[in-house]
Amino acid sequence: MQMAFYFDQTRCTGCSACLIACKEWYDMKSGPAYRRIVVRIEKDKYPNPYLAYLTIACLHCERPACAAACPTNAIVKREEDGVTVVNKDLCLGKDNCATFCKEACPYGIPDFGEEENAKMQMCNFCLDQLAENKNPICVDACPSHALDAGPLNLLAAKYGQTRQAEGFVYSEETMPSIIFKPKLR
Amino acid sequence: MTNLQGQDNASSIVQKVPITCPHDCGGQCLMWAHVKDGVIVRIESEPGDEPPARACARGLASRKRVYAPDRIKYTMKRVGERGEGKFERISWDEALDKIAAEMKRIKAQYGPGAFVNLQYAGEPLGSFQGIAVGRLMNMFGGNVQHWGGASLEGKYWAALATFGDRWAALGSGDARSARLLILWGRNPAITRGGNNPEGDSNPFFLSQAKEAGTRIVCIDPRYTETVALYADQWVPIIPGTDTAMLIAMAYVIINENLQDQKFLDEYTVGFDKFKEYVLGKEDGIPKTPAWAEVITSVPAATITGLAREYATTKTAMLIDGWGPGRTAYGEQYFRAAYTLKAMTSNISPSEMTVRARPFRGAGYLFSKGKNPFDFDPQAPADVGQSLDPALKNRRRVVQGNLYDAMMRGKDGGYPSDIKMAWVNGGNTLNQFANTNKGVKAFKQLDFIVVTEQFMTPTAKFADILLPATTHLERSGVYTGGGRLFYSEKAIEPLFEAKSDFQICAALAPRLGIENYDGGKTEEELLKDYLTSPDMKKWITDYDAFKKRGVWEWSASQPQAGKVVLPTSSGKIEIYSQKVADLKNPEIPPIPKYMETWENRNDPLTKKYPLQLITSHFRLRAHSVFDNVAWLKDLEPQRVWVNTADARSRGIQDGDLVRVFNDRGVVLIPAYVTERIMPGVVNLCEGAWYNPDKDGVDRGGCPNVLTKDKNSPAGAWCTHTSLVQVVKV
Repeated sequence: MQMAFYFDQTRCTGCSACLIACKEWYDMKSGPAYRRIVVRIEKDKYPNPYLAYLTIACLHCERPACAAACPTNAIVKREEDGVTVVNKDLCLGKDNCATFCKEACPYGIPDFGEEENAKMQMCNFCLDQLAENKNPICVDACPSHALDAGPLNLLAAKYGQTRQAEGFVYSEETMPSIIFKPKLR
Repeated sequence: MTNLQGQDNASSIVQKVPITCPHDCGGQCLMWAHVKDGVIVRIESEPGDEPPARACARGLASRKRVYAPDRIKYTMKRVGERGEGKFERISWDEALDKIAAEMKRIKAQYGPGAFVNLQYAGEPLGSFQGIAVGRLMNMFGGNVQHWGGASLEGKYWAALATFGDRWAALGSGDARSARLLILWGRNPAITRGGNNPEGDSNPFFLSQAKEAGTRIVCIDPRYTETVALYADQWVPIIPGTDTAMLIAMAYVIINENLQDQKFLDEYTVGFDKFKEYVLGKEDGIPKTPAWAEVITSVPAATITGLAREYATTKTAMLIDGWGPGRTAYGEQYFRAAYTLKAMTSNISPSEMTVRARPFRGAGYLFSKGKNPFDFDPQAPADVGQSLDPALKNRRRVVQGNLYDAMMRGKDGGYPSDIKMAWVNGGNTLNQFANTNKGVKAFKQLDFIVVTEQFMTPTAKFADILLPATTHLERSGVYTGGGRLFYSEKAIEPLFEAKSDFQICAALAPRLGIENYDGGKTEEELLKDYLTSPDMKKWITDYDAFKKRGVWEWSASQPQAGKVVLPTSSGKIEIYSQKVADLKNPEIPPIPKYMETWENRNDPLTKKYPLQLITSHFRLRAHSVFDNVAWLKDLEPQRVWVNTADARSRGIQDGDLVRVFNDRGVVLIPAYVTERIMPGVVNLCEGAWYNPDKDGVDRGGCPNVLTKDKNSPAGAWCTHTSLVQVVKV
């Protein structure tokens, strides 16, 4: 099975509730979060401008480039749900490694804190929540119901097969587990 | 605490406590505080869908305020100059003794009109806090009140003139029921960030309406998130000219005979007089779409098309946002919108009656009592329900004049000499217009008390600074839309903080006031109130309400059959005889377009060619949350400048620019964008005033630039200012 996110770009106001809910749940410091908001995409000219937002967390790719790049095999894709997780005991830390994972990810998702030799950190699909059959915390925090989560095949059956959105290019190489409703012009 | 939910690592129990926010963003959401060993370890948004009450980023960041290292922890007295922010710790007893001594001295020397309570929108929505100081001052002999509030004074006046009650015309219904939705100066995607219950401006409801095929039109000088997400059509409009467009729409409807004449005949008075004005029989100027195009910059064809569409679509909903009303003559905008709704029978008189509800807004759980200073033998008992600003100004001060009143007092024609201000739940200097004038006024006062959680720009001016609890350190009940929220005390007060109620209850005996608190604690008063026979009508199960944190009540149904409104005629008054009796050409009896001050034709544009608007910012609730790093990380304070205006000034995106006029100077980076119309700049309200040694604000507080003058009938005017922007 492969768990995945769904993102409805036509509903996202860029409010960042998903991001702050994530930081709050994991008690993170100011700075990076596991969920990455929110790219603001602006283009075209007055009086017909275009505006959209994009929020992504780790995309739990079907072929995670980060895992392949890790020199210590600290990044593992779980068989039972396809969630990519990092074993911090094995991670060398940012001072002792060229952060191959971050370089390899087409979306720049793997992240390192500001502390000395910080270990890699990223979204683990809220495994604790998943164990209780609950959604990741970001999904249930979205006031506009722009996020959903579940097995990729079920999300595809529900929302369709669109794998691109404004500001997001699908990587054929890593096959990110996300379905979109893009905001068209 | 209630709701024992489970165990965390076997030793400590995590309790989940229902909470909400008290910050007056306009929404009201439900969250759960996870409390372990007396500490809030997490805040979780209400995950459910029914009722939709999911919180925004601000609410979810509340723990960062409660446990912030920069909380004001102790009572303090000022040791430096006012505004310097130098304080020294003192005891609660010393602070309260000092306040009592000063209040007694000032009352003896100048009378009760020397006191002003600057309670405002920071944390006002709770059960008691909003009125605690007001009650104390009233029991001590009174204080001079201020009127003409920021949010929607123009709307209050217009609703009073048109429907006979200030509180009428709040909320337009469920957006999902409309086929055509006109969001006029309304930006709920930002201003109602959480999943708040108001049907006409819940972002989730707007998404659902759009997906169901509702046509949505947005009228706004900015291409907001609301426009980007929901609008089929964006109509940019010059700030301060909305009324002209509404009146030109009325022209089209009249000219093409599209109005619902039967409705007008049955339910309204004065349409003929309005019609004469619109057709130009009164002043020789027909208010055609071509006339409005020159004023508003909206093409005549757009106005004509929208007018026809609005008049012929059922159901069409015109949601008159509050921003366009925060301009000079802003009350006319609401009057014009109501008239257009009546012409197309998109309102019914029964909807405009003020229906019974548990309580409204802030502090209604105990009585503020009578204000002896406010008593005027020539004024009606409730001067707030008067259309006459002159009558209100006999014993009160309109907010735009507050600083002038502080500096000039009775000699300036004001009702009293103001000597002492008590600021609670507010950040006056930051949020009232003309900050630099406010600084001068505050420096002239005899005595200033500030109750605060943080060292805000206003707190720096306190003589005595009192540490206030946050809402998570006390219980309270809040109202939003058709719901009540129970926000339970999650933790004990931190440091030496006390609630406004506790502070005033401790001060009362020192002032010789008996029975301030009725011998009860807040918790006891809250329970008494919520379980009183009166409230049982609304909350049938108090325990269930406390456990769930939210309670849906239904306002009494609109009256069936013929409805008599509390206007003189009993009908919707497009023409108001009471307003006509004021004989003030700036407050006309029918809705009229009048050119604002500091408009695009003002000679002042030679110096200051850009119109400044001061919209809301999604990562602050007014000035609350501006000191939370989690939120600051997401988006910096910047001034919006249109690409063409930036190009002609050599400004690139991110450049530091100087925004200025005769009132002040702000130094802030530019956000160069196609999302705002040329000639308009936007600096979001709420950023903290941070003057350097030359008095240049480096925090980006727009009120350094706004004019301290209310509209003739009271509307707040912070979207009516001219500025210049130059590259530093």
